[in-house]
Amino acid sequence: MARILEDDAKRLLSEFGLAVPSGRRVTTPIDATDVASAMPGGCVVKALVPTGRRGKAGLVSICSTADEARSAVERMIGMNFDGYLVEAVLIEERIDIAHEYYLSMSIDPAALTFNVLASAFGGVDIEAHAGSITSIGVDPVAPSADREIQLLWSDVGLKDHATVLRDATRNALSAFQSLDATMLELNPLAVDAANRAVAVGAMLAVDDAAIHRHPDLSRLVIEGSDRAARPETLLEQRVAEINADRSQRGSARYLELEGGDIGFLCGGGGASLLLFDAIVAEGGRPANYSEFGGNPTEQRVYDLTRVVLDKPGVRGLFVAHNITNNTQIDVVARGVTRAIRDAGVPAAFPVVAREVGVNDDEGRLIFEEANVLYLGADVSLNGAARIMVERLREAGTW
Amino acid sequence: MTLFGDSGVMIQGITGREGRMTAEHMLSYGTPVVAGVTPGKGGQSVCGVPVFDSVSDAIASCGPGRIGVSVVIVPPLATLRAVSDAVRSAGCDIVIATEGVPRHDALRMLVIARQAGVTVVGPNSIGVIEPGQRRKLGAIGGDRPERAFVPGAVGIISRSGGMTSEIGLTLRMAGLGVSGAISVGGDELIGLPPARAARVLQDLPETRAICYFGEPGTHFEEELAAEIESGSIQVPVIALVAGTFTESLPEGTAFGHAAAIIQRGSGRPTDKRRRLADAGAIVVSSLDDMAVAVTGVAGGA
Repeated sequence: MARILEDDAKRLLSEFGLAVPSGRRVTTPIDATDVASAMPGGCVVKALVPTGRRGKAGLVSICSTADEARSAVERMIGMNFDGYLVEAVLIEERIDIAHEYYLSMSIDPAALTFNVLASAFGGVDIEAHAGSITSIGVDPVAPSADREIQLLWSDVGLKDHATVLRDATRNALSAFQSLDATMLELNPLAVDAANRAVAVGAMLAVDDAAIHRHPDLSRLVIEGSDRAARPETLLEQRVAEINADRSQRGSARYLELEGGDIGFLCGGGGASLLLFDAIVAEGGRPANYSEFGGNPTEQRVYDLTRVVLDKPGVRGLFVAHNITNNTQIDVVARGVTRAIRDAGVPAAFPVVAREVGVNDDEGRLIFEEANVLYLGADVSLNGAARIMVERLREAGTW
Repeated sequence: MTLFGDSGVMIQGITGREGRMTAEHMLSYGTPVVAGVTPGKGGQSVCGVPVFDSVSDAIASCGPGRIGVSVVIVPPLATLRAVSDAVRSAGCDIVIATEGVPRHDALRMLVIARQAGVTVVGPNSIGVIEPGQRRKLGAIGGDRPERAFVPGAVGIISRSGGMTSEIGLTLRMAGLGVSGAISVGGDELIGLPPARAARVLQDLPETRAICYFGEPGTHFEEELAAEIESGSIQVPVIALVAGTFTESLPEGTAFGHAAAIIQRGSGRPTDKRRRLADAGAIVVSSLDDMAVAVTGVAGGA
């Protein structure tokens, strides 16, 4: 789920025939005055952060004058919401709204359809009107969804609005498919006094797996919004840089956590989840979450290990994987042990490695030479976590 | 359904680095790989397996009915075309190894496969293995599958490819073996969700118990619970759902696999475990407990 800021989302949607309010992105109060002055009918100021629920957080302001707009911008710029710093706002013309609807679409993985939701109670209180929401499933390979869309709004819309709502839904669905979107929410989708359906509020997330076929989208997605509900930390940015080096094989994921003292250097996807639970169940506190694999090069393992060890407060290192298919244990061992040496960890710093799979005989020797406690197939992943926590306790504080 | 048994196997993407390695390991284990497909590489051969430009060329050469399964190991953006080709031209079952298939593509290929009545495992599956037949579909087990998988009476279903093998290893260390193992794939959009995979494994005559490995996110565990409750799964299911710690982190944080994400209070491992236990599954919280529980219901087999 790579999110796109609202002004970019609206520009993209307008290319598919959806009407959107005219507006401009602004980063300073001075520019706000200029832009708002050109909107005699009043304007709406919206903070540009890639999250929902902005209205209730005071990050959407309806303004009658340019002065009001200017002070709204002054107030919003620099605010923090959901971990995102407000660096820009969107100033839009105010729409003369006759009725506010709600329209959203996503993929239903069980039914294998596009799940389209609609309600006649759009706006900030949509969640209080959950019972008003109707849904249809659209066949993704059918040539047309016109019948389903007609049914959708015949249940929901005011009679006079049915035609414009159907057209807007058809356009939105075509944008949803063409942009490889994972989520599209128009709230409100307003019908104005001139009986035009206008996407007054728009949230869009696109599939990062499909970004390679949308070069125009790749510079619009908000970095890190796919992995965490907050911006990346410095250590996380370092891992992003490590992964950006395409000359090195293997993948590394790293999520910094608050507090904790065990450096967590594990993989693959499922085993990392299990191992983290196991450490916690034994009373240990991981300082981070990680997941690495894909037969990484020694350098990539080294770089990731250095990041894990650089987190302040780390007093031990836990290296573990499920039995590997192709990840070479000797290579992992070389990367990890070189990083430990270069980081200059104290002699009492416990390092436990439970690594079974390709070249593990060789890997065991490398680990043991570096005073790492090596565990093999006779110790389960849960057993390894128990030993890690025990070792850390025995090490005490040094 | 020809995932298990002795039908011929085709590999789409056999000339790529991954494809070659997987073909070599599948053959050396004993899997009957009879054809490879890479558009533009027809006429070559990989490990003695003839390569064709298209699935229909492969069928024309091998004869109809010879190919029961295709293993798809092609780049993410080429997967939809490869799967469509296999569905339309071969009508065979399909195991998709590719990771990072765009969701809209996955959706389309699964709809096409459903309409044609073929079984799809994956995308993002490390594979399917049947140790008693020395048959493996995909990279599962690497070049030494017997380190993790020995023949036996336990079925394995896992949302994690790596944990499919780790559970095999856990069972082997406990003196148990595997009837069949299915890595269903780490994505949210997959062709053979756990509930259906359980029915497939139960149909193997050796299967006396099923081990399940689940993760946060999706409704797969809830569906599996409903399947058990309905009475259609007759063998005991021993389930481990990992990722409890993610419940204490902000919602929407993604872990590991694409599908392991908790959204709006749904997808929590705690709820999944409760649901599975209520349905009659044996819910365990460690691999050691899993080995003990399986020995209790299927030991001595």
